[in-house]
Amino acid sequence: MQTLEVISVNLWQILLSLANLVILFFILKKFLYKPVKKVLAERQAEIDSGYAAAAEAERSATADRDAWREKIKTAEAEAQSIIKTANDKANENSDRIIGDAKDKARDIIRRAEAEADLEYKKAQDDIKQEIVVVSTVLTEKMLEREIDEKDHRELIEAFISNMGDSND
Amino acid sequence: MNKRRPGFVFLDGVFLATAILPIVFGIVLKVLTTPISEGITITGARIFFSVDMPVQPLVITESQINSWIVIVSLLGLCLYLTHGLSVRHPTRRQHLAEWLVEKSEKLTLSNMGDDFSGFPPLIASIIGLSALSSLLSLFGLYPPTSDINVTAGWAVAVFVLITYYKFKCGPVHYLKSFGDPVPLLAPLNIISEVATPISMAFRHYGNVLSGAVISVLVATGLDGLWGIIMGWLPSPISELSLIRIGIPAVLSVYFDLFSGCLQAYIFAMLAMLYISSGYPRDEYLKRKNKKRINKKTA
Repeated sequence: MQTLEVISVNLWQILLSLANLVILFFILKKFLYKPVKKVLAERQAEIDSGYAAAAEAERSATADRDAWREKIKTAEAEAQSIIKTANDKANENSDRIIGDAKDKARDIIRRAEAEADLEYKKAQDDIKQEIVVVSTVLTEKMLEREIDEKDHRELIEAFISNMGDSND
Repeated sequence: MNKRRPGFVFLDGVFLATAILPIVFGIVLKVLTTPISEGITITGARIFFSVDMPVQPLVITESQINSWIVIVSLLGLCLYLTHGLSVRHPTRRQHLAEWLVEKSEKLTLSNMGDDFSGFPPLIASIIGLSALSSLLSLFGLYPPTSDINVTAGWAVAVFVLITYYKFKCGPVHYLKSFGDPVPLLAPLNIISEVATPISMAFRHYGNVLSGAVISVLVATGLDGLWGIIMGWLPSPISELSLIRIGIPAVLSVYFDLFSGCLQAYIFAMLAMLYISSGYPRDEYLKRKNKKRINKKTA
Protein backbone atom coordinates (compact mmCIF):
# COMPACT_ATOMS: atom_id res chain seq x y z
CA MET A 1 0.00 0.00 0.00
CA GLN A 2 1.13 3.47 -0.86
CA THR A 3 2.06 5.93 1.85
CA LEU A 4 2.57 9.63 1.96
CA GLU A 5 5.98 11.10 2.48
CA VAL A 6 6.65 11.99 6.13
CA ILE A 7 6.44 15.64 5.19
CA SER A 8 4.07 16.20 2.34
CA VAL A 9 1.74 19.13 1.95
CA ASN A 10 -1.57 18.43 0.29
CA LEU A 11 -3.98 21.29 -0.19
CA TRP A 12 -7.09 19.11 -0.19
CA GLN A 13 -6.06 17.38 2.98
CA ILE A 14 -5.61 20.73 4.66
CA LEU A 15 -9.11 21.73 3.59
CA LEU A 16 -10.50 18.40 4.75
CA SER A 17 -8.88 18.84 8.12
CA LEU A 18 -10.27 22.35 8.40
CA ALA A 19 -13.70 21.00 7.51
CA ASN A 20 -13.30 18.28 10.13
CA LEU A 21 -12.62 20.88 12.79
CA VAL A 22 -15.65 22.91 11.74
CA ILE A 23 -17.83 19.80 11.71
CA LEU A 24 -16.67 18.87 15.19
CA PHE A 25 -17.33 22.44 16.31
CA PHE A 26 -20.94 22.18 15.18
CA ILE A 27 -21.31 18.70 16.66
CA LEU A 28 -20.08 19.86 20.06
CA LYS A 29 -22.17 22.99 19.89
CA LYS A 30 -25.35 21.15 19.00
CA PHE A 31 -25.00 17.95 20.99
CA LEU A 32 -23.02 18.99 24.05
CA TYR A 33 -23.21 22.72 24.70
CA LYS A 34 -26.78 23.38 23.66
CA PRO A 35 -28.47 20.72 25.83
CA VAL A 36 -26.14 21.18 28.78
CA LYS A 37 -26.46 24.95 28.75
CA LYS A 38 -30.22 24.62 28.45
CA VAL A 39 -30.31 22.42 31.54
CA LEU A 40 -27.97 24.75 33.39
CA ALA A 41 -30.13 27.74 32.49
CA GLU A 42 -33.25 25.89 33.60
CA ARG A 43 -31.61 24.98 36.85
CA GLN A 44 -30.48 28.56 37.36
CA ALA A 45 -34.00 29.77 36.66
CA GLU A 46 -35.39 27.26 39.14
CA ILE A 47 -32.89 28.32 41.77
CA ASP A 48 -33.64 31.99 41.12
CA SER A 49 -37.37 31.45 41.35
CA GLY A 50 -36.86 29.44 44.53
CA TYR A 51 -34.85 32.23 46.07
CA ALA A 52 -37.41 34.77 44.94
CA ALA A 53 -40.23 32.71 46.47
CA ALA A 54 -38.28 32.34 49.71
CA ALA A 55 -37.60 36.06 49.84
CA GLU A 56 -41.25 36.78 49.10
CA ALA A 57 -42.37 34.38 51.85
CA GLU A 58 -39.95 35.93 54.30
CA ARG A 59 -41.10 39.39 53.37
CA SER A 60 -44.78 38.57 53.87
CA ALA A 61 -44.02 36.77 57.13
CA THR A 62 -42.13 39.79 58.41
CA ALA A 63 -44.97 42.06 57.34
CA ASP A 64 -47.47 39.82 59.12
CA ARG A 65 -45.33 39.75 62.23
CA ASP A 66 -45.03 43.53 62.24
CA ALA A 67 -48.74 43.97 61.68
CA TRP A 68 -49.57 41.64 64.54
CA ARG A 69 -47.05 43.30 66.77
CA GLU A 70 -48.66 46.64 65.98
CA LYS A 71 -52.10 45.21 66.66
CA ILE A 72 -50.98 43.76 69.99
CA LYS A 73 -49.48 47.11 70.94
CA THR A 74 -52.71 48.98 70.17
CA ALA A 75 -54.72 46.33 71.96
CA GLU A 76 -52.58 46.75 75.03
CA ALA A 77 -53.02 50.51 74.91
CA GLU A 78 -56.77 50.04 74.47
CA ALA A 79 -56.93 47.69 77.44
CA GLN A 80 -54.92 50.16 79.45
CA SER A 81 -57.28 52.99 78.58
CA ILE A 82 -60.34 50.86 79.28
CA ILE A 83 -58.97 49.95 82.69
CA LYS A 84 -58.14 53.56 83.34
CA THR A 85 -61.59 54.86 82.44
CA ALA A 86 -63.19 52.12 84.50
CA ASN A 87 -61.01 53.03 87.45
CA ASP A 88 -61.83 56.69 87.05
CA LYS A 89 -65.52 55.99 86.85
CA ALA A 90 -65.34 53.75 89.91
CA ASN A 91 -63.43 56.35 91.85
CA GLU A 92 -65.91 58.98 90.84
CA ASN A 93 -68.80 56.75 91.82
CA SER A 94 -67.30 55.91 95.16
CA ASP A 95 -66.54 59.56 95.87
CA ARG A 96 -70.07 60.49 95.00
CA ILE A 97 -71.53 57.69 97.08
CA ILE A 98 -69.36 58.51 100.09
CA GLY A 99 -70.17 62.19 99.77
CA ASP A 100 -73.89 61.40 99.59
CA ALA A 101 -73.60 59.14 102.59
CA LYS A 102 -71.76 61.81 104.56
CA ASP A 103 -74.39 64.39 103.64
CA LYS A 104 -77.15 62.07 104.64
CA ALA A 105 -75.44 61.25 107.91
CA ARG A 106 -74.96 64.93 108.68
CA ASP A 107 -78.60 65.51 107.86
CA ILE A 108 -79.72 62.74 110.17
CA ILE A 109 -77.51 64.01 112.95
CA ARG A 110 -78.79 67.52 112.52
CA ARG A 111 -82.40 66.35 112.55
CA ALA A 112 -81.77 64.22 115.57
CA GLU A 113 -80.22 67.13 117.39
CA ALA A 114 -83.12 69.36 116.48
CA GLU A 115 -85.54 66.76 117.67
CA ALA A 116 -83.62 66.30 120.88
CA ASP A 117 -83.68 70.06 121.43
CA LEU A 118 -87.36 70.12 120.80
CA GLU A 119 -87.94 67.23 123.20
CA TYR A 120 -85.79 68.93 125.74
CA LYS A 121 -87.70 72.15 125.50
CA LYS A 122 -90.96 70.30 125.62
CA ALA A 123 -89.83 68.37 128.64
CA GLN A 124 -88.77 71.58 130.32
CA ASP A 125 -92.08 73.12 129.64
CA ASP A 126 -93.89 70.06 130.93
CA ILE A 127 -91.82 69.97 134.03
CA LYS A 128 -92.40 73.64 134.58
CA GLN A 129 -96.09 73.10 134.15
CA GLU A 130 -96.04 70.20 136.53
CA ILE A 131 -94.04 72.02 139.07
CA VAL A 132 -96.40 74.91 138.86
CA VAL A 133 -99.32 72.59 139.35
CA VAL A 134 -97.63 70.71 142.17
CA SER A 135 -96.43 73.78 143.91
CA THR A 136 -99.83 75.34 143.59
CA VAL A 137 -101.40 72.26 145.06
CA LEU A 138 -98.77 72.12 147.73
CA THR A 139 -99.07 75.73 148.56
CA GLU A 140 -102.85 75.45 148.68
CA LYS A 141 -102.55 72.61 151.02
CA MET A 142 -99.93 74.25 153.13
CA LEU A 143 -101.65 77.50 153.37
CA GLU A 144 -105.08 76.01 153.33
CA ARG A 145 -106.53 79.09 152.31
CA GLU A 146 -107.92 80.58 149.33
CA ILE A 147 -105.41 82.48 147.48
CA ASP A 148 -105.52 84.25 144.35
CA GLU A 149 -104.50 81.52 142.10
CA LYS A 150 -103.59 83.86 139.39
CA ASP A 151 -101.15 85.90 141.49
CA HIS A 152 -99.45 82.95 142.84
CA ARG A 153 -99.11 81.33 139.56
CA GLU A 154 -97.30 84.29 138.20
CA LEU A 155 -95.10 84.40 141.24
CA ILE A 156 -94.19 80.75 141.09
CA GLU A 157 -93.65 80.77 137.41
CA ALA A 158 -91.23 83.60 137.77
CA PHE A 159 -89.48 81.73 140.48
CA ILE A 160 -89.25 78.50 138.53
CA SER A 161 -88.10 80.24 135.44
CA ASN A 162 -85.37 81.85 137.45
CA MET A 163 -84.53 78.53 138.95
CA GLY A 164 -84.50 76.90 135.55
CA ASP A 165 -82.27 79.63 134.24
CA SER A 166 -79.81 79.32 137.06
CA ASN A 167 -79.94 75.54 136.51
CA ASP A 168 -79.03 75.82 132.89
CA MET B 1 -35.03 5.84 38.43
CA ASN B 2 -38.06 5.64 36.18
CA LYS B 3 -35.70 6.36 33.33
CA ARG B 4 -34.35 2.84 33.42
CA ARG B 5 -36.76 1.83 30.71
CA PRO B 6 -35.55 -0.54 28.04
CA GLY B 7 -35.71 2.16 25.36
CA PHE B 8 -33.46 4.41 27.39
CA VAL B 9 -30.93 1.68 28.03
CA PHE B 10 -31.02 0.71 24.36
CA LEU B 11 -30.28 4.28 23.27
CA ASP B 12 -27.47 4.42 25.83
CA GLY B 13 -26.03 1.33 24.24
CA VAL B 14 -26.31 2.83 20.77
CA PHE B 15 -24.52 5.99 21.85
CA LEU B 16 -21.78 4.09 23.63
CA ALA B 17 -21.36 1.92 20.56
CA THR B 18 -21.11 5.10 18.46
CA ALA B 19 -18.31 6.21 20.76
CA ILE B 20 -16.39 2.94 20.88
CA LEU B 21 -17.03 1.13 17.60
CA PRO B 22 -15.19 3.65 15.38
CA ILE B 23 -11.99 2.98 17.29
CA VAL B 24 -12.53 -0.77 16.94
CA PHE B 25 -13.21 -0.20 13.26
CA GLY B 26 -9.98 1.76 12.95
CA ILE B 27 -7.98 -0.99 14.60
CA VAL B 28 -9.58 -3.64 12.38
CA LEU B 29 -8.92 -1.54 9.30
CA LYS B 30 -5.32 -1.05 10.32
CA VAL B 31 -4.82 -4.74 10.96
CA LEU B 32 -6.46 -5.72 7.67
CA THR B 33 -4.61 -3.21 5.51
CA THR B 34 -1.17 -3.37 7.06
CA PRO B 35 1.06 -5.61 5.01
CA ILE B 36 3.16 -8.09 6.88
CA SER B 37 5.96 -5.77 7.69
CA GLU B 38 9.44 -6.34 6.60
CA GLY B 39 10.81 -4.11 9.31
CA ILE B 40 10.34 -0.90 11.24
CA THR B 41 10.01 2.15 9.01
CA ILE B 42 9.09 5.75 9.40
CA THR B 43 6.49 6.74 6.86
CA GLY B 44 3.66 9.20 6.50
CA ALA B 45 0.02 8.28 6.51
CA ARG B 46 -1.02 5.42 4.28
CA ILE B 47 -3.20 6.36 1.33
CA PHE B 48 -6.47 4.47 1.04
CA PHE B 49 -7.50 6.01 -2.24
CA SER B 50 -7.04 9.20 -4.12
CA VAL B 51 -9.35 11.26 -6.29
CA ASP B 52 -8.12 13.41 -9.12
CA MET B 53 -8.74 17.04 -8.37
CA PRO B 54 -7.32 20.26 -9.74
CA VAL B 55 -3.91 21.34 -8.45
CA GLN B 56 -3.31 18.17 -6.43
CA PRO B 57 -5.06 14.82 -6.13
CA LEU B 58 -7.38 14.55 -3.15
CA VAL B 59 -5.99 11.70 -1.12
CA ILE B 60 -7.94 9.96 1.61
CA THR B 61 -5.33 8.76 4.05
CA GLU B 62 -5.18 7.33 7.50
CA SER B 63 -5.15 10.87 8.85
CA GLN B 64 -8.58 11.62 7.44
CA ILE B 65 -10.06 8.26 8.40
CA ASN B 66 -8.68 8.54 11.92
CA SER B 67 -9.93 12.12 12.25
CA TRP B 68 -13.39 10.94 11.31
CA ILE B 69 -13.07 8.12 13.81
CA VAL B 70 -12.35 10.71 16.50
CA ILE B 71 -15.22 12.91 15.38
CA VAL B 72 -17.75 10.08 15.37
CA SER B 73 -16.43 8.90 18.73
CA LEU B 74 -16.85 12.36 20.18
CA LEU B 75 -20.34 12.59 18.71
CA GLY B 76 -21.26 9.32 20.42
CA LEU B 77 -19.72 10.51 23.66
CA CYS B 78 -21.65 13.79 23.52
CA LEU B 79 -24.90 11.96 22.84
CA TYR B 80 -24.20 9.55 25.68
CA LEU B 81 -23.29 12.29 28.16
CA THR B 82 -26.27 14.46 27.34
CA HIS B 83 -28.74 11.57 27.22
CA GLY B 84 -31.38 11.95 29.90
CA LEU B 85 -30.35 15.32 31.27
CA SER B 86 -32.41 16.43 34.22
CA VAL B 87 -32.65 19.70 36.03
CA ARG B 88 -33.23 18.29 39.49
CA HIS B 89 -31.42 14.97 39.63
CA PRO B 90 -28.22 15.04 37.59
CA THR B 91 -26.60 11.71 37.01
CA ARG B 92 -22.88 11.06 37.06
CA ARG B 93 -22.55 11.47 33.31
CA GLN B 94 -24.48 14.71 33.47
CA HIS B 95 -22.06 15.99 36.08
CA LEU B 96 -19.25 15.13 33.68
CA ALA B 97 -20.97 16.91 30.79
CA GLU B 98 -21.65 19.98 32.91
CA TRP B 99 -18.10 19.96 34.19
CA LEU B 100 -16.74 19.83 30.63
CA VAL B 101 -18.97 22.66 29.47
CA GLU B 102 -18.34 24.88 32.46
CA LYS B 103 -14.59 24.25 32.51
CA SER B 104 -14.19 24.98 28.82
CA GLU B 105 -16.28 28.13 29.14
CA LYS B 106 -14.26 29.30 32.11
CA LEU B 107 -10.98 28.58 30.33
CA THR B 108 -12.05 30.32 27.15
CA LEU B 109 -13.65 33.35 28.69
CA SER B 110 -10.84 33.90 31.18
CA ASN B 111 -8.31 33.84 28.36
CA MET B 112 -10.26 35.68 25.70
CA GLY B 113 -12.69 37.93 27.53
CA ASP B 114 -16.45 38.07 27.40
CA ASP B 115 -16.56 39.26 23.79
CA PHE B 116 -15.82 35.71 22.68
CA SER B 117 -18.74 33.92 24.30
CA GLY B 118 -19.24 31.79 21.17
CA PHE B 119 -15.78 30.29 21.36
CA PRO B 120 -15.97 27.58 24.05
CA PRO B 121 -17.26 24.92 21.62
CA LEU B 122 -14.48 25.75 19.16
CA ILE B 123 -11.77 25.61 21.79
CA ALA B 124 -13.25 22.41 23.17
CA SER B 125 -13.31 20.89 19.70
CA ILE B 126 -9.68 21.89 19.09
CA ILE B 127 -8.61 20.34 22.39
CA GLY B 128 -10.79 17.27 21.94
CA LEU B 129 -9.86 16.60 18.34
CA SER B 130 -6.19 17.22 18.91
CA ALA B 131 -5.86 15.28 22.16
CA LEU B 132 -7.91 12.31 21.01
CA SER B 133 -6.11 12.25 17.65
CA SER B 134 -2.78 12.06 19.43
CA LEU B 135 -4.10 9.49 21.87
CA LEU B 136 -5.18 7.24 19.01
CA SER B 137 -1.58 6.11 18.92
CA LEU B 138 -2.27 4.32 22.19
CA PHE B 139 -4.51 1.97 20.18
CA GLY B 140 -1.76 1.46 17.65
CA LEU B 141 -3.52 3.70 15.15
CA TYR B 142 -1.85 6.38 13.12
CA PRO B 143 -2.24 9.68 15.04
CA PRO B 144 -3.62 12.27 12.56
CA THR B 145 -1.76 14.99 14.41
CA SER B 146 1.53 13.63 13.14
CA ASP B 147 0.38 14.64 9.66
CA ILE B 148 1.31 18.23 8.81
CA ASN B 149 -1.82 18.62 6.68
CA VAL B 150 -4.13 18.02 9.63
CA THR B 151 -2.54 20.51 11.99
CA ALA B 152 -2.13 22.94 9.09
CA GLY B 153 -5.86 22.75 8.50
CA TRP B 154 -6.55 23.72 12.11
CA ALA B 155 -3.94 26.47 11.96
CA VAL B 156 -5.62 27.85 8.85
CA ALA B 157 -8.93 27.88 10.72
CA VAL B 158 -7.28 29.81 13.55
CA PHE B 159 -5.62 32.16 11.05
CA VAL B 160 -8.97 32.87 9.40
CA LEU B 161 -10.46 33.70 12.80
CA ILE B 162 -7.51 35.92 13.72
CA THR B 163 -7.87 37.83 10.48
CA TYR B 164 -11.65 38.02 10.81
CA TYR B 165 -11.35 39.63 14.21
CA LYS B 166 -8.61 41.96 13.02
CA PHE B 167 -10.92 43.02 10.22
CA LYS B 168 -13.66 44.02 12.66
CA CYS B 169 -12.64 47.66 12.36
CA GLY B 170 -12.49 47.64 8.58
CA PRO B 171 -9.68 46.99 6.12
CA VAL B 172 -7.98 50.34 6.68
CA HIS B 173 -7.53 49.71 10.35
CA TYR B 174 -6.35 46.19 9.54
CA LEU B 175 -3.65 47.44 7.18
CA LYS B 176 -2.63 50.14 9.62
CA SER B 177 -2.09 47.56 12.34
CA PHE B 178 0.88 46.20 10.42
CA GLY B 179 2.79 49.45 10.78
CA ASP B 180 2.11 49.35 14.44
CA PRO B 181 4.91 50.75 16.50
CA VAL B 182 6.71 52.23 13.47
CA PRO B 183 5.85 51.73 9.78
CA LEU B 184 9.41 50.54 9.28
CA LEU B 185 8.51 47.27 11.02
CA ALA B 186 5.71 46.47 8.55
CA PRO B 187 7.63 43.70 6.74
CA LEU B 188 8.43 42.02 10.04
CA ASN B 189 4.84 42.29 11.14
CA ILE B 190 3.65 40.70 7.91
CA ILE B 191 6.14 37.88 8.33
CA SER B 192 5.08 37.27 11.90
CA GLU B 193 1.44 37.32 10.82
CA VAL B 194 2.12 34.60 8.26
CA ALA B 195 4.41 32.76 10.64
CA THR B 196 1.72 32.41 13.26
CA PRO B 197 -0.30 29.63 11.61
CA ILE B 198 2.81 27.97 10.20
CA SER B 199 4.51 27.83 13.57
CA MET B 200 1.34 26.55 15.21
CA ALA B 201 0.96 23.80 12.63
CA PHE B 202 4.59 22.78 12.73
CA ARG B 203 4.84 22.89 16.52
CA HIS B 204 1.99 20.48 17.00
CA TYR B 205 2.83 18.20 14.12
CA GLY B 206 6.52 18.17 14.95
CA ASN B 207 5.98 17.26 18.57
CA VAL B 208 3.74 14.33 17.81
CA LEU B 209 5.79 13.09 14.86
CA SER B 210 9.05 13.42 16.74
CA GLY B 211 7.55 11.32 19.51
CA ALA B 212 6.66 8.64 17.02
CA VAL B 213 10.11 8.87 15.37
CA ILE B 214 11.90 8.59 18.69
CA SER B 215 9.72 5.63 19.65
CA VAL B 216 10.62 3.91 16.38
CA LEU B 217 14.30 4.73 16.80
CA VAL B 218 14.32 3.41 20.35
CA ALA B 219 12.52 0.25 19.28
CA THR B 220 14.99 -0.31 16.44
CA GLY B 221 17.91 0.46 18.69
CA LEU B 222 16.73 -1.98 21.32
CA ASP B 223 16.26 -4.58 18.61
CA GLY B 224 19.84 -4.10 17.48
CA LEU B 225 21.08 -4.18 21.06
CA TRP B 226 19.35 -7.51 21.61
CA GLY B 227 20.96 -8.80 18.42
CA ILE B 228 24.41 -7.77 19.61
CA ILE B 229 24.02 -9.23 23.11
CA MET B 230 22.00 -12.37 22.38
CA GLY B 231 22.99 -12.92 18.74
CA TRP B 232 25.12 -15.91 19.59
CA LEU B 233 22.16 -17.80 21.03
CA PRO B 234 20.14 -20.22 18.87
CA SER B 235 17.59 -18.78 16.52
CA PRO B 236 14.24 -18.41 18.44
CA ILE B 237 15.79 -16.58 21.39
CA SER B 238 18.02 -14.37 19.31
CA GLU B 239 15.00 -13.15 17.32
CA LEU B 240 12.58 -12.66 20.25
CA SER B 241 13.94 -9.25 21.17
CA LEU B 242 12.55 -9.40 24.73
CA ILE B 243 14.25 -6.09 25.53
CA ARG B 244 11.52 -4.37 23.51
CA ILE B 245 9.02 -5.18 26.26
CA GLY B 246 8.48 -2.39 28.76
CA ILE B 247 11.06 0.24 27.85
CA PRO B 248 9.12 1.73 24.88
CA ALA B 249 6.03 1.86 27.10
CA VAL B 250 7.78 4.35 29.40
CA LEU B 251 8.54 6.53 26.39
CA SER B 252 4.96 6.12 25.24
CA VAL B 253 3.69 7.60 28.52
CA TYR B 254 5.59 10.76 27.71
CA PHE B 255 5.24 10.98 23.95
CA ASP B 256 1.71 9.70 23.53
CA LEU B 257 -0.07 10.58 26.76
CA PHE B 258 1.70 13.62 28.09
CA SER B 259 2.87 15.24 24.89
CA GLY B 260 -0.39 14.54 23.09
CA CYS B 261 -2.49 16.25 25.76
CA LEU B 262 0.03 19.03 26.27
CA GLN B 263 0.21 19.87 22.57
CA ALA B 264 -3.58 19.99 22.37
CA TYR B 265 -3.64 22.39 25.29
CA ILE B 266 -0.83 24.52 23.82
CA PHE B 267 -2.53 24.69 20.44
CA ALA B 268 -5.80 25.78 21.99
CA MET B 269 -4.07 28.30 24.27
CA LEU B 270 -2.18 29.85 21.37
CA ALA B 271 -5.34 29.98 19.28
CA MET B 272 -7.15 31.80 22.07
CA LEU B 273 -4.31 34.23 22.68
CA TYR B 274 -3.73 35.04 19.01
CA ILE B 275 -7.42 35.53 18.26
CA SER B 276 -8.16 37.66 21.30
CA SER B 277 -4.99 39.74 21.06
CA GLY B 278 -5.62 40.48 17.39
CA TYR B 279 -9.06 41.84 18.17
CA PRO B 280 -8.94 45.66 18.49
CA ARG B 281 -11.61 45.70 21.18
CA ASP B 282 -11.39 49.31 22.35
CA GLU B 283 -11.26 50.67 18.83
CA TYR B 284 -14.21 48.51 17.79
CA LEU B 285 -16.33 49.58 20.74
CA LYS B 286 -15.43 53.21 20.08
CA ARG B 287 -16.59 52.94 16.50
CA LYS B 288 -19.74 51.15 17.49
CA ASN B 289 -20.56 53.88 19.99
CA LYS B 290 -19.93 56.55 17.41
CA LYS B 291 -22.18 54.78 14.95
CA ARG B 292 -24.93 54.56 17.53
CA ILE B 293 -24.62 58.23 18.36
CA ASN B 294 -24.70 59.11 14.67
CA LYS B 295 -27.81 57.03 14.24
CA LYS B 296 -29.45 58.80 17.14
CA THR B 297 -28.66 62.24 15.84
CA ALA B 298 -29.72 61.36 12.31
